[in-house]
Amino acid sequence: MAVPTWSSSLKVLLRADTTAQVRTSLSLVLTFALPLILLVATGLGKNSAVLGGPAFRISLALTVGLVSIGTVGYSLAIARDRDTGVFQRLRVTPAPTWTIMVSRWIVQLGAVLVMAIVVLVVAALFVGVTLPPQDYLFTILVALLGSAVFLSIGQAIVGLIASADTLNAAGRLLYVPLIGLSLFGNTDRLGTTVELVSRWSPGGCLETLLSAAMGATAWTGQSWGALFASFGYTAVFAVIGIRWFQWGAR
Amino acid sequence: MRVHGVTSEAPPVTGLALQVNDLHVSYGPKRAVDGVSLDINQGEIFGLLGPNGAGKTSTLSAIEGLLKPTSGSILIHQVDVRAHPGQAKSLIGVQLQSTSFQSELKISEIVKLYAGLYGVPLTKPAISNSLTEIHLGDEASRRFSQLSGGQQKRLALLIATVHDPPLVLLDEPTSGLDPQARRQLWDRIERFRKEGRSILLTTHSMEEAQAVCDRVAIMDHGKILTVGTPAALIAAHRDDPQVRQAAHGEVTLEDVFIALTGRELRD
Repeated sequence: MAVPTWSSSLKVLLRADTTAQVRTSLSLVLTFALPLILLVATGLGKNSAVLGGPAFRISLALTVGLVSIGTVGYSLAIARDRDTGVFQRLRVTPAPTWTIMVSRWIVQLGAVLVMAIVVLVVAALFVGVTLPPQDYLFTILVALLGSAVFLSIGQAIVGLIASADTLNAAGRLLYVPLIGLSLFGNTDRLGTTVELVSRWSPGGCLETLLSAAMGATAWTGQSWGALFASFGYTAVFAVIGIRWFQWGAR
Repeated sequence: MRVHGVTSEAPPVTGLALQVNDLHVSYGPKRAVDGVSLDINQGEIFGLLGPNGAGKTSTLSAIEGLLKPTSGSILIHQVDVRAHPGQAKSLIGVQLQSTSFQSELKISEIVKLYAGLYGVPLTKPAISNSLTEIHLGDEASRRFSQLSGGQQKRLALLIATVHDPPLVLLDEPTSGLDPQARRQLWDRIERFRKEGRSILLTTHSMEEAQAVCDRVAIMDHGKILTVGTPAALIAAHRDDPQVRQAAHGEVTLEDVFIALTGRELRD
């Protein structure tokens, strides 16, 4: 009997996971509808400027998209497939186990890449925000880093929480503070402590990096701090998520 | 040597299909499998019988590579499952007790996915033919959850054997099936045997095990209590007082099973 190589297994898994991703209505809403609605909605009304400038609106839309994909869409899909035994069925094939999860991550990163491009295109066409070419590249790279942060948070959630139902509730509970902290990183309206926590939260760090990548703020020591903090968050949550992850329902 | 994403390092299929030696599996302090040893010959249908919680599924899971045994060895056609998991998995076809596939994929896409994972390139017509053969030709565009229980089992068995494995592991393949679907499934299993495959299955149906299996092992509390052909087990235990007590008329495999594992209900 022939044994497939890891690369051919990964290719086959990627094709199936991409098809599944495209056909999931929740993932499409989280990936595209929510960020675009936010992008447009934050520009409406007389006091919209209070929320921040155009760059802030784009970074907020991207952050919300990334938080949604990582903590709600990804973690819920993984928990559901675990509960129903999809992973166990895949694990009895010769495909190396790591390819099963890596395929999911690659598909999510691909979704984030498409989402970032769509948000930036809509921002250019309808919000009137255009960036120099290199800033587009930096923004997309930062979005991919942000995706790694929130996917690792999603992985940690799915590693620590056994059932899809509990995870659904926990994901929604976590979603609100993660978004809220992203919102208040640029303002001290709720006090300096909240601002400090907000600024160094995963969403706050992402906001800082996106803002710098789009040229709205200068690249400063805080930007470097946000960059290292993002790598740190990714590493810590990924280790938690992988260490405690179980392939089968408990 | 690599050809089209496939390595050709697997050994030829010869000898015993499966050798399990002194297998132990524990969940924390609980011993689910406690020193199980069994051999399965090529072309043999082997039934692993036992009440709920006896350790059947844990034994299968260890063979399938889903569980890491505490100790013991498992060889599939001389390939060590722990040392060469990829090679070992390519030699087995597995139907799990409860099977599910990605809910967003169509049936034809699921077949293509699993064929691909075993390195079997299937064209659209080939997939269509496979589905038609199991009377699912018209369901190719439907989702797994839209199939009936019998259809799901047929698809699961097709996927388990999509790569022509020499050893097929079936965990309670007939549970939840109506008599027609069950009969059809046994016909397919019988066909596998005629093709020279070996089959290891678990079932709660003693009548089916007695009728279909070449040999059975009865296990309880993680240990194998007895192994043999159904006829030999019945003959060996026919005169046991507990068997006589369990029997209503002619002694059956179920009487032997009840006598060996007790009458109390298991969760």
